[in-house]
Amino acid sequence: MRRFVVIVLAVSLLGALTTWFIPAQAQQPAAPPTWKQGQPAELAGSPLAPIAQPPAPLPAAEIPVNKLKVPPGFRIELWASGINNARAMTWGDKGTLFVSSRVAGNVYAVVDKGGSREVKTIAKGLNLPNGVAFKDGTLYIAEVSKISKMEGIESKLDSPPQMVTVFETLPKDLPHGWKYLAFGPDGKLYFNIGAPCNICLPPDTHANISRINPDGTGFEYWAHGVRNSVGFDWHPVTKELYFTTHARDWLGEDVPSDRLDVAPKKGLHFGYPFCHQGDILDPEFGKGRACAEFAAPLLKTGPHIAGNGVEFYTGSMFPADYKNRMFLAQRGSWNRTQKIGFRVAMATLKAGDVPKYETFAEGWLQGDQPWGRPVYTKQMKDGSLLIADDYAGAIYRVSYSK
Amino acid sequence: MTTPARSTASATRSKLIGFVFTAALLAAILAAGSVRASAADAEAGRRKAEPCAACHGPDGNATIPGTPSLAGQPTYFTHWQLIKFRDGRRKDAQMSPFAENLSDDDMADLAAFYAAQTPRRRPSSVDAAKAAAGAELVARHHCSSCHMPNLEGQKQMARLAGQDLTYLLRLLRGFKAQTASDLDGTMTMAAQPLTADEIESLAHYIAGLP
Repeated sequence: MRRFVVIVLAVSLLGALTTWFIPAQAQQPAAPPTWKQGQPAELAGSPLAPIAQPPAPLPAAEIPVNKLKVPPGFRIELWASGINNARAMTWGDKGTLFVSSRVAGNVYAVVDKGGSREVKTIAKGLNLPNGVAFKDGTLYIAEVSKISKMEGIESKLDSPPQMVTVFETLPKDLPHGWKYLAFGPDGKLYFNIGAPCNICLPPDTHANISRINPDGTGFEYWAHGVRNSVGFDWHPVTKELYFTTHARDWLGEDVPSDRLDVAPKKGLHFGYPFCHQGDILDPEFGKGRACAEFAAPLLKTGPHIAGNGVEFYTGSMFPADYKNRMFLAQRGSWNRTQKIGFRVAMATLKAGDVPKYETFAEGWLQGDQPWGRPVYTKQMKDGSLLIADDYAGAIYRVSYSK
Repeated sequence: MTTPARSTASATRSKLIGFVFTAALLAAILAAGSVRASAADAEAGRRKAEPCAACHGPDGNATIPGTPSLAGQPTYFTHWQLIKFRDGRRKDAQMSPFAENLSDDDMADLAAFYAAQTPRRRPSSVDAAKAAAGAELVARHHCSSCHMPNLEGQKQMARLAGQDLTYLLRLLRGFKAQTASDLDGTMTMAAQPLTADEIESLAHYIAGLP
């Protein structure tokens, strides 16, 4: 961790010195907003822009759950609604579902009351609190630059305990600053530190997946060259880390593809910003580099598809061949005229081959209009699967019966 | 495989197509917005806005210097700001108590009411030289890429045109100082390269827009 702090300080100092020594160019255009950065001049008039997050969840009666399609034998229903900007989910020991949000700044607790669900806001006003993880009675919450915990939260949902900071020396950059947070099989907390831009040469402190001990000690980088991964899980048998990455924008309608990767050991570099999708050199940062220098993707998941959640299925409710399959929640594209994603896909690993890749749940996109955006999944104790939708502020449940 | 790269020879045509696309997209957004906001009731919003009138004006056109006009603000903008006041992420001694007890429906109704009102330019005394410099700064700092070409706002991005000068100055200085509430950090980042003089120029230009 000390080394990490030193690097952060060195980079900040370098930044300050650069500003000091290079006089501001009066006529030079300022940096555009992050979403527009890297846009070629000939596309300056492009109507493509990120999809705005609605300020309120859709009322339950207006959620067209009948438009959602799942494979034969499966059933999808609305499980909970009215959860503004619902994102990542994690289970408490006593059966409480904790749900994060991003721009809404809230963390929720969803309590199953048999036929219905009660939603309580247990923290609000947080800084893009996308990451939630639970272990031994304690809820961990990741904001942009810090990770905090709430001890014994499950017995105090109506008067949540004070958040105690665990780790707070993370970069404060907001672009790709929100975090996915999960416990690895080694008991360490893993999270992403995204690139602070669409496309740039990031400081050594960014564009990675990192881990710490739950008490905040032992910071280390796990994977490098990862533009922004906001979803990962570990293989139930091999215990290897699988993760999705959002690729850069404005390179084209069909390139580069987002990716699904595996990082079986510490220290691999996955290419950003030099090489995209394993075989395309960046027009600016790829000069003098080769894609062979970097780890190749396990699967190209599709251009701009915005893959978030990754979850291995370990339950026994679904058919036997679903065991150890990955569910991939794909929030859907904005930097593409033909929208893709807005679905939950699945990937089945095949030894020595590209995984089998197919749709599991779809229907959030009707024509060119999305009404919902599936962003994470979470398996239930009975083997059914929850899907969080941050656009409609809802959670769906997929079940199976023969 | 299609890529969005366009030939420069047809730049003018592309611009026109771009404009038509933008217009179509806007129409789609507006249509989608109205579908989504079916629960929002502008007439109920008018009644609920009665306590707001003393400061923000009966039709959302405020007259008190330093107090923003809400008329013509996009629904997402007003609704998100109210959420931030309620959650304590945005703080104001006068405004915060009003937002404390608003329900999600109240916010949607208020946002719908103010979006439907016609905005009028505030009678700020605009310095012509500063405004001229501000026009160039708006282009250099990409303001219209989010706030739209005439700074009329869209989605969660505020309408700026004709807003009160004192308010614009306070907010821009707040973003520069990293103390103003920001939904996702975009404005705080955009304000960092601005000098104090440039903030003045921008505010004077924006306050003078129709």
